[in-house]
Amino acid sequence: MLRQPLSRALALSPSKVAPLAARKFADQVQAQPDKVEVFINDKPVYVPPGTTVLQAAAQVGVEIPRFCYHERLAVAGNCRMCLVEVEKSPKPVAACAMPVMKGMRVKTDSDLTKKAREGVMEFLLVNHPLDCPICDQGGECDLQDQSMAFGSDKSRFTDIHFSGKRAVEDKDVGPLIKTIMTRCIHCTRCIRFASEVAGIDDFGTTGRGTDMQVGTYVEKMFLSELSGNIIDLCPVGALTSKPYSFAARPWETRRIDSVDVLDPLGSNIVVTTRTNEVLRILPRTNEEINEEWLSDKSRFACDGLKRQRLVTPMLADSRGNLTPVEWEDAVVAAARALRDCPPGKLLAVAGDFADAESLVALKDLFNHLGSENVCTEQYFPLEGSGTDLRSSYLLNTKIANVEDADFVLLIGTNVRFEAPLLNARIRKAFVQKETDVALVGPKVDLTYDYTHVGDSASIVKDLATGTSSHEVMKRLENAKRPVVILGADQLKTPEGAALLAYTQELSLRLQDKLVDKEWKVLNVLQRTASQAAALDAGYRPGLGAQLQAGPKVVYLLGADSGLVTRDALPKDCVVIYQGHHGDAGAAIADIVLPGAAYTEKRATYVNAEGRAQQTLPAVTPPGKAREDWKIIRALSEVVGVRLPYDSLDELRERLAAVSPTLVAYGDVQDNNYFAQARALAQSLQKPVSGKLDVQLKQLEDYFMTDSISRASPTMAKCVQAVLKQKQSPY
Amino acid sequence: MSNSIAKLLALDKISNFFNIIRQNGGIRASMYKLYRQDELKDGTLVGEDQFGNKYYENPRYFYSRNRWVEYSDNFNMNYDGSQVPAEWFGWLHYKTDLPPHKDPNRPKYKWMIEFTENMSGTTGQYVPYSTTRPKIEPWVPKPKSSV
Amino acid sequence: MAAKQALRVGTKTVRPVLSLNQAEARSRVLNLYKAWYRQIPYIVKDFDIPKSEEQCRAKLKEIFLKNKDVTDIRVIDLLVIKGQMELKETVNTWKQKGHVMTFFKPTEEPKPKDFLSKFFSGLD
Repeated sequence: MLRQPLSRALALSPSKVAPLAARKFADQVQAQPDKVEVFINDKPVYVPPGTTVLQAAAQVGVEIPRFCYHERLAVAGNCRMCLVEVEKSPKPVAACAMPVMKGMRVKTDSDLTKKAREGVMEFLLVNHPLDCPICDQGGECDLQDQSMAFGSDKSRFTDIHFSGKRAVEDKDVGPLIKTIMTRCIHCTRCIRFASEVAGIDDFGTTGRGTDMQVGTYVEKMFLSELSGNIIDLCPVGALTSKPYSFAARPWETRRIDSVDVLDPLGSNIVVTTRTNEVLRILPRTNEEINEEWLSDKSRFACDGLKRQRLVTPMLADSRGNLTPVEWEDAVVAAARALRDCPPGKLLAVAGDFADAESLVALKDLFNHLGSENVCTEQYFPLEGSGTDLRSSYLLNTKIANVEDADFVLLIGTNVRFEAPLLNARIRKAFVQKETDVALVGPKVDLTYDYTHVGDSASIVKDLATGTSSHEVMKRLENAKRPVVILGADQLKTPEGAALLAYTQELSLRLQDKLVDKEWKVLNVLQRTASQAAALDAGYRPGLGAQLQAGPKVVYLLGADSGLVTRDALPKDCVVIYQGHHGDAGAAIADIVLPGAAYTEKRATYVNAEGRAQQTLPAVTPPGKAREDWKIIRALSEVVGVRLPYDSLDELRERLAAVSPTLVAYGDVQDNNYFAQARALAQSLQKPVSGKLDVQLKQLEDYFMTDSISRASPTMAKCVQAVLKQKQSPY
Repeated sequence: MSNSIAKLLALDKISNFFNIIRQNGGIRASMYKLYRQDELKDGTLVGEDQFGNKYYENPRYFYSRNRWVEYSDNFNMNYDGSQVPAEWFGWLHYKTDLPPHKDPNRPKYKWMIEFTENMSGTTGQYVPYSTTRPKIEPWVPKPKSSV
Repeated sequence: MAAKQALRVGTKTVRPVLSLNQAEARSRVLNLYKAWYRQIPYIVKDFDIPKSEEQCRAKLKEIFLKNKDVTDIRVIDLLVIKGQMELKETVNTWKQKGHVMTFFKPTEEPKPKDFLSKFFSGLD
C-alpha cells in the first residue's frame, strides 16, 4: 500500500490542472488546439500537444514513479525513475520530459518498464545509506515508498563492509534545514526551487558522476523566507527540518487542517501534533492562496506556541505585581472595571491574532456597554469611503490572479516579507509570464528585477494624475492586466489618506480602460491576519485619537505591537489583556485573561483577499486558558450585559448577521463600488511630499514580527544566523 | 546466701523496683517516663548521640530487650525510630557490640552527610519532581521595581 | 374523545410486563416499598453504614418519590423489577458497603448547565 505522501505526490495533474484550466484569467483566449490521442497501457487518452507522457498517464490514473519531476518546478529529467516503454522507441523514455506524440503507445507496466525502474532504483540505492531507522524522512520518504513499490525484490549489493558507498560532507545552510548530504539522490528539486521559486541562486551541483554534490559551493546560509519548502520537496532525507529533527515519526502524529495567521495571506496549513503538543506545521495545498508552499515564519514559528504562554488568569496585587488567580476572580475584577467605567472612557484594541468570533463578541460587548471605541492597531484612513467599502482595504485582484498580471506596481510595500507567498506569485509571473514589476518605495530585494521608480509619495500622485513622465506610466497605461499593490503601512502617516486616494484614482483609471472588465487593479496589502475581519466587523482602524482621550479601561485583545503603552495612558487606567502570549500587552496589564492561540481553537480568520477561513483546534489551550470568544461571553454575563450566544454556532449566526462574508468559508467575493470609493476619495487628493518607507527591509527583520514569532527560539536563531551570514564574505 | 533466699522469696523484684524508681529520678519522674515510653527499666548508660538520645544496656533483661534507647527530651512525645542515627542503630540491633564512640574502625569521610530523621509528613519532606521540560513554558511577569 | 379511545385501544394492545392495571402496579410498588422498609434495620447493621435507620427510610422514600409521576404501567413494572433486583443484591450482600452508600451519592456534583458555570469549571 502506498503511504500518504507518495500517493499525494503521485496524484498529480487531474486535481492540479483543473483549477488552472478553470481559472478565469488564464490565457484561454488562444484557440484551443486539437487534442492528441495517446494510449497509456492501451487506454486512449486525449491531451493537448505538449503534455508530457507522465501528465497524460496521470489523467487516466496511471501513476508513474518519479523523484526529480515536480509539477511546480521545471522539468529536469535526471532521476530516470519515470522511464517507461514506448512502442517503436528503441530505448525506454523518461516520461516526465517526453512530450506526447500522436498515436503514441505507452506501456507503464511492461517488463521493460519494470526492469528499467528496478535498475534505476538499484543504482540509487547503491549509494544511498541504509539509515532509514535514524532518518527523519522515514515513513514519509519517497525513496522508501518507491523502492517498496517499484524496486527489485532482491538485492545484488555485496559490499557488506560498505567500503565503496559514496559519502558526502554535510552542509550548513542555516538553522532551519538540516542536511545529510550522503542521502542525496541528486534530484535537484531543491536547486530548482531555490532558483525558480525562492529566487536565490545559491544552490547548485558540483562534480560529475559519483562525485556529484548538491550544495551551496561555499559555506553559506540559504537566505530565503521560503527555505522550509525544500524540506517538503526533498524526496529523501537529505534535507530535513532542523527544529523537528528526531522529534516524531509521521505515523505517530495527528494532522489537523488549519489556517496560518502569521501573515495576512492565511496560508492553508496542516498542524502536526502528538500528545497535545504542536510538533510541526506543514503547508496544505490551496491553489488560490499558497499553492503548496509555506513561508518560514508560518512553518517554523510554531515552537513559539510553547514559550511565553499565558496559562492562568492574573491580577495585579496591591504592589502592582501580576499574581495568578482563578477565573472567577479575574473575570469579576475585569467586569467590575468595565462596569464602573463611563462608556466614553472605555477602549478596546484588537491585535494581530484576533479571530473574527472574538472580534465580533468584543464589539458586541462594548456596544452593549454603550461604547463605540473598538479599534485595531493598524491604521487605515477613515476619510473618504474609509472602511465602508471592502474594495478599499482588500487584495481585490486575488492572490492567484496576480500571476496572470502583466504589470505589477508595488507602492510602499516589501511584499517579500509582508506576504512572502504573494511575492512568490509575483515572481512566478515574472519568471514564467515575463510580467514586469515596478516599485515605489525604498529599494529592497524582492528576489526579482523591478523598475525602481523612487521612494517619494509624489510619484504616486504623478502616476495617478497621469502627469508622470516616467516610463512606468506608459507601461501601466498599456498593460492589459495591471496590478497595483499598496502597502497598508503607508496609510498610517498623515499623508496616508491622500496616498490611498491617489492609488485608488490610479487603479480605477487603469481599470476603466481595460478590455477585461472583470479584472481588478486596486490592492491594499494588510499587515496582519486580523485586520480584514476587524474592518469587516466595523472596528475603527488605528487608536491615536482614542488614546488621546485618556481612557479609563483599556481592553487589549491580543494587542502586542506596543502601540498602547503605560506612558500614553492615564495613571489610574485599568488595562485588561486577553491573549495567549506574554508580550508587550500582558506586561502593562492589570488583569490578564489567558486566551487560545490559533492552533487551539476553532476560529474564523479573514485573509487579505477577504477570504474567510477557519482554523481547527489541534491541541487544547494550555493550563487554564480558554477560547477567546468564551472569555468575552463569560465576561459579558458578569458585567450584566449577557451576549445572546452560548455556542460557536450561535456566535457564527451573529457573525453572518454582521457580515455574511465572515462565514462564507473558503470563498472570496468580488468587490464592487470601486467607482464610488474613487468618487469619495476625490476630495482627498492633496499634494503629498513624504517618502515611503517599509518596516521590513531585510531578511533579519522578517522573522520576529509578532508575539508568537518573538517567543520562538527558532526564529531567534534565524535572526542570529542571518546577521552572521551578513558578516561572511560570501 | 541471703541473696538467693531473697530471690526465692521474690524479694529481689521489690528491690529492683525501687532501684528502677530511684534510677529514673523518683516517683514523679518515673511516672512521666512510664507515660512517655510505656516502659520503665534500669540499666547502664552506654552512650549518647548528637541528638541527645541515650542508649542503655542491662543484660538482666532477655536478649533483644536488653539494649534500648531513651529519646531525647527535645523530641517530647514526637519520637520515632528514625531518630536513631545509623551508627547507633547498629549497636541497638546487635550488629555490633561496640558502640560508635568506642569503635575506632568506623570510617568517617568528609562526603558523609549528617544523619537526618525521616521527614515525611513535614515541610522538609522529599517531594519527587519531574526533570523533563514542561511542554508549555508559561510567561512569568516581571515584578514591578518601584511602588 | 376519539384520541382517548385510540389511546385506550393502543394501550390495550401493548403486552403488559407484569401488571394488568394501575391498581395491580400500585400494589407491586407498595409491596416493594414495604420489603425495602422491613430490610432497612438489617441493611444498616449488616453493611455498617454511617447512616441511621431514619436516614435510610427518608432516602427510601425519596428514591420512590423520585418516580411518583410515572404513570405508564409498563414503566412502573420495570422500575419495580429493577428495585427488586437492587433489594436482592443488597439483602444477599452481593453489594458492598460502598455500593449501598451510592444511594446517598454524597460526592456527586451536579454538572454545570449554564454557560458561565461551564466556563468557570472548564467543561464544555
